[in-house]
Amino acid sequence: MEAIINCTDIGFSYNGTSVLNGINLSIQPGNMLGILGANGAGKSTLLKILCGVLKPKSGKALFNDQELSKMDRREIAKGIAYIPQDPMFAFPFTVREVVLMGRAPYIGRFEFEREEDNEIAKNALKTVGISHLKDRLINEVSSGERQLASIARGLVQEPGIMILDEPATYLDVKHRTEVMNILRHLKENKGISIIAATHDIFSSLFYFDDIMILKDGNILAEGRTDQIINSEILSLAYGIEVVVKKENGRVFVFPNQ
Amino acid sequence: MSTNRKFVVSMTLLFILWIITAFISIFSGTYSIGPLEAISNLDELSRTIFFQIRIPRVLMATIAGGTLALAGAALQALFRNSLASPFTLGISGGASLGALLAIRSGLAVGVLGFSMVSISAFVFSILTMLFVYTISKVGGVVATGRLLLAGVVANFLYASIVMFIQFFSTFTESLQTMRWIMGSLDVVGFDTVWKTLIFVIPGCAILLSLTKDMNLFGLGDDVASSLGVNVRRMEKKIYFATSLAAGAVISVTGPIGFVGLIIPHILRMLLGVDNRIILPSSFLLGATFLTAADTLSRTIISPVEIPVGIITASIGGVFFLWLLIRTKKEIII
Repeated sequence: MEAIINCTDIGFSYNGTSVLNGINLSIQPGNMLGILGANGAGKSTLLKILCGVLKPKSGKALFNDQELSKMDRREIAKGIAYIPQDPMFAFPFTVREVVLMGRAPYIGRFEFEREEDNEIAKNALKTVGISHLKDRLINEVSSGERQLASIARGLVQEPGIMILDEPATYLDVKHRTEVMNILRHLKENKGISIIAATHDIFSSLFYFDDIMILKDGNILAEGRTDQIINSEILSLAYGIEVVVKKENGRVFVFPNQ
Repeated sequence: MSTNRKFVVSMTLLFILWIITAFISIFSGTYSIGPLEAISNLDELSRTIFFQIRIPRVLMATIAGGTLALAGAALQALFRNSLASPFTLGISGGASLGALLAIRSGLAVGVLGFSMVSISAFVFSILTMLFVYTISKVGGVVATGRLLLAGVVANFLYASIVMFIQFFSTFTESLQTMRWIMGSLDVVGFDTVWKTLIFVIPGCAILLSLTKDMNLFGLGDDVASSLGVNVRRMEKKIYFATSLAAGAVISVTGPIGFVGLIIPHILRMLLGVDNRIILPSSFLLGATFLTAADTLSRTIISPVEIPVGIITASIGGVFFLWLLIRTKKEIII
């Protein structure tokens, strides 16, 4: 199958300091890829390049065989949804209004949302399970609910791929599971590819088909999840000894201290 | 209510409110002209007052109030902070100084129909905005404290230069400047109105074309960009357009304060925060507010006419105080 995103030899630097080197990445439609790595490994930068927010300093990032840096921003927005780690909400929009903003690439400069857009937003709210919050102000709901609203916002873009930066880091275990389940649901039922950066090794095991591990801007390891999550690779990635134990079909990950 | 309907309803109501206010304003003043007289036979004096003073003045109040409120709403979107306004950011101060310098250096002439005073005000506005924006941005985010302090610094700096100029002025010049700095809508004839409109129309049109992008910008640079907004270009357009429109207004009326702060605030409380509604409705309510304030300034202790800036500043001061007290309990929206 054609890869939805295909990157070759991506390099990036901030003010002369190299952040990413020679990254190759491709993801098939309906696949879920987790990106792991210590803080500062270059995960967020890579994600921003993959969604066209940052232009790579070298190499090529292709979306459906078109070079992202040459595509119209609105066209990209119809295919790729980006959900940052800690979304900003500078003004108290309602949850519904925030979700509707995902329709922006489909709406003209002087237009308002049509009935069709409202319908799409309604369905997205339902999919992520926050229909009851639609009229609440975004800065008055919990951080878990805000994250769900952001995912719904991404969903109404009707993207082929969703790129999320640590979607569950700040959430408690219940909301974390909820968010990850929703992502899996989107993958399985809507065929949306997912790329997410995460620090949560444990849930990575359950949710991601593939894992890529970054270290100091380079790919340390990549492949099927069960092959990548092992003591040796994780210890190298995080710089402390990590134990991965398999018992009765269950996997345990913990630092050996 | 859908956004579309909310827009139509609020704009219609605000437009009616403006019509009523403008109508009252045209027929108020020391010299009494009734609506019936106006359509029948006016004597020479009444006609001059009505067509050369009253109507241009209401138009000027409309343009000035509308522009300042619209610019305030746009700046609040740009700085992602609802305390931003041409006045609090020192842009009014900058535009005033620019206008004053042009007047005093004998540049009060038109070049190809553009007023040099307005152009000078525009240049100073845009410089001030860049200064305040650079100073107040810490790690890509505008810090409220720094924003307001940078505005205060700019205002002080400009005030000191204005005082310096004042010190070397003749008594008459000095008094003129004083009056102008108080903020006044004292225009005669339509000439000034047209000259202001040359700047105001493109400025406001640019800002109104960006309202959707401003909404997305409120979700952060990266999300806005991922949703199709060219963030850097949008920021530049807002700088340019607010400086153009607000600079032109302030170069005529002087720094009329607080309109740009109060009006968008009130509207957000009533209508929510969607900039597609807030910006155009700010224009209408700002126009209505300043027209009403001007009517008050002309009639409150008639025949004396108090500068309208005194009225807006006193209302604005109390409003600002109320905001501060209110925000003790919650985050500023």
